[in-house]
Amino acid sequence: MSNLANGIETAAQGAAASVSAEIRSHADPALVRADRVEQLYSQLPLGLAATVVIGVIAAIELHEGRLIELVLFWGTLLAVVVALHGLLYLGYRKDKQRLENSDQWLRWLGIGAFAAGAVWGFAAAVFFPSHADERQVFLAFLLAGVISGGIPMYAASWPIFAVYAAAIAVPFTYVLATFGNRLFVEIAVLIPLFYAVSVAIAFRLNGVFVSGYRLRHAYQRQLVELEQARRQIEASGRKLALFFERSPIAVLELDPAGLIQEVNHAAELLFGFAAAELIGRSVKRLVLPKFQADFDTQWARLIATREPLAGIKVRNPRRDGLSIVCEWTVTPLVNREGDLISVVAQGRDVTAQLEAERMKKEFTSTLSHELRTPLTSIIGSLQLINVGVLGEVPKDVAELTQVAERNGQRLLDLINDILDIERIESGKLTLHPEKIRMDELVREAIVLNKGFGERFRVRFEAKGALSHREVTGDHKRLLQVMTNLLSNAAKFSPEGEVVEITTEEIPSWLRVAVHDRGPGIPEAFRSRVFGRFNQADSTTSRQKGGTGLGLAICKRLIEMMHGRIGFEDRRGGGTTFWFELPQHA
Amino acid sequence: MPDRALQRICYVEDDEDIQRIVRMSLERVGKMTVELVTDPNTAIGVMREFKPDLVMLDWMMPGMDGPTLFRKMKQLPEVASLPVVFITAKATQRDMEELLALGAAGTISKPFSPKDLPEQLRAIWSKLP
Repeated sequence: MSNLANGIETAAQGAAASVSAEIRSHADPALVRADRVEQLYSQLPLGLAATVVIGVIAAIELHEGRLIELVLFWGTLLAVVVALHGLLYLGYRKDKQRLENSDQWLRWLGIGAFAAGAVWGFAAAVFFPSHADERQVFLAFLLAGVISGGIPMYAASWPIFAVYAAAIAVPFTYVLATFGNRLFVEIAVLIPLFYAVSVAIAFRLNGVFVSGYRLRHAYQRQLVELEQARRQIEASGRKLALFFERSPIAVLELDPAGLIQEVNHAAELLFGFAAAELIGRSVKRLVLPKFQADFDTQWARLIATREPLAGIKVRNPRRDGLSIVCEWTVTPLVNREGDLISVVAQGRDVTAQLEAERMKKEFTSTLSHELRTPLTSIIGSLQLINVGVLGEVPKDVAELTQVAERNGQRLLDLINDILDIERIESGKLTLHPEKIRMDELVREAIVLNKGFGERFRVRFEAKGALSHREVTGDHKRLLQVMTNLLSNAAKFSPEGEVVEITTEEIPSWLRVAVHDRGPGIPEAFRSRVFGRFNQADSTTSRQKGGTGLGLAICKRLIEMMHGRIGFEDRRGGGTTFWFELPQHA
Repeated sequence: MPDRALQRICYVEDDEDIQRIVRMSLERVGKMTVELVTDPNTAIGVMREFKPDLVMLDWMMPGMDGPTLFRKMKQLPEVASLPVVFITAKATQRDMEELLALGAAGTISKPFSPKDLPEQLRAIWSKLP
């Protein structure tokens, strides 16, 4: 995985650098110069060897006759220049920073070239006048050769060649011009011309070298970038292959005709076919016969519109003859030219999920019907006894039947609350919004819960003027919220207390608050007040009833009506529960 | 509002326990006359003979459910005009609305309170044309 990550990283850098279009502009001038210097130095040994050979022959040829000391002096001078060049060459080769120092090495080579040229120029000036005709021809030939040999030697830097050749040509021209011979004067006139042509050739060659080196560097960079791009593609390819192969979701790649081109391992497992049994075959192999006509229509539409599809549930046959329900995401892949390349289908087995949903629904329905029907008989019978339809019953019996009725009612509340929560959370609860006047809602809730309050010897009272403003909400569900808040307040209030209900108009909201004088809400419980099956003290539910779902339902209902709900400590002890709904405009 | 008080009730319900509670509630609390039907297939015959003011139908019954029986009643002139109240535990709001749309006079959800049942029926009765 780390290789992969590295690959992507370097590839990303490469991609950022490869924006340029012009190849040559990629070459770094410093690198090009270093290459030229390297070229010049690499030819140095050959040049020195040639110089030594020519020098020895010249010395042998010229020493016959006069001025033997002068020949010795010249020979020594040449030897010193050659030796210094040798040292220069070694120094350059040993320099580890020669790339960075290329400017300096070029300068030294220029000085060396001038010195070498000057030694040959010396030979021209000193030996030409003092020799007879054939030696003069030899010397002229030799000098012409040395100059022209400098062209390839110094071609990578024409100024060096110009300096070198000038150092030879200037003294030679001078000697020829002042010799007093008409032929020599004519040659003296020609030599600057030859010089100019040679320098021009060197200049041209120099240009060829420079552009060659620039190209080389530009291509090198391009090659590096190409390599980075290749790695990037390889890395994405590997990543894609990994996603494809290790994905827990079945992935099929289909051609526009619906033939399977590739399947991943998850697809093999899901349908029970080996990849080889599917590749090259029509995807209709994975479609039940009775749905094939429908599939053809859908496929034709997909190919025509090229619109990706998601969340399509299809019953697919497996190799073993069973069938599973899969949820498919289908994506047509279109290239830049707009041609459909292939279609990628990703499928997930949702059979178990659908079954679970069905069972949940069935369970809820069972809870709703099968539990409520017997409870109707139980609570109904007890209620008939308790209201005295059958006449007086013994006091002990009456007490027990009241306990039984109360607990039957509690069981029923629990079932209703569970059904409510389930309906809210599965999104099946629909609200019937209408305009509701707040004061009317509060009064209705007080009347409805009066009996419950009396059981706990608690009174509900509206405090202050109630707002006449309207909210938009579900009347029945808002009453349910009010009932929950009021019954909670009653349960936790000391006997004889009053639970106060207030309304408050705040900009664009209407707040209803229920204030009790109960023990307050323990710090540790505050965050869970609106959670499911939560009661601060579990003994409360046994003593006073309640399912622990009431406030959770309130919160969800109020939020469904775009409101908010909360609580705070009440001054002087107790708790205030409130909810706010947007005021009707 | 009908010009006479609600008196004769025909209740089609397969659960005998609930039958007993409803009978006791309507007779003792509501002082009404009750005819119980256990088998929905015989219900229409019973209605023809008993001539109730109002019919109460259970929703879920083996053989024939309440809504089916109700639709059948609508096709028979003798019983088509009888007001029908559904008693159901499968009380989703949509189902209730569906029944009212079919022409039911009202719905009462299970579990109902036998103490309040006669009053609930009278309230529905008083709203009839």
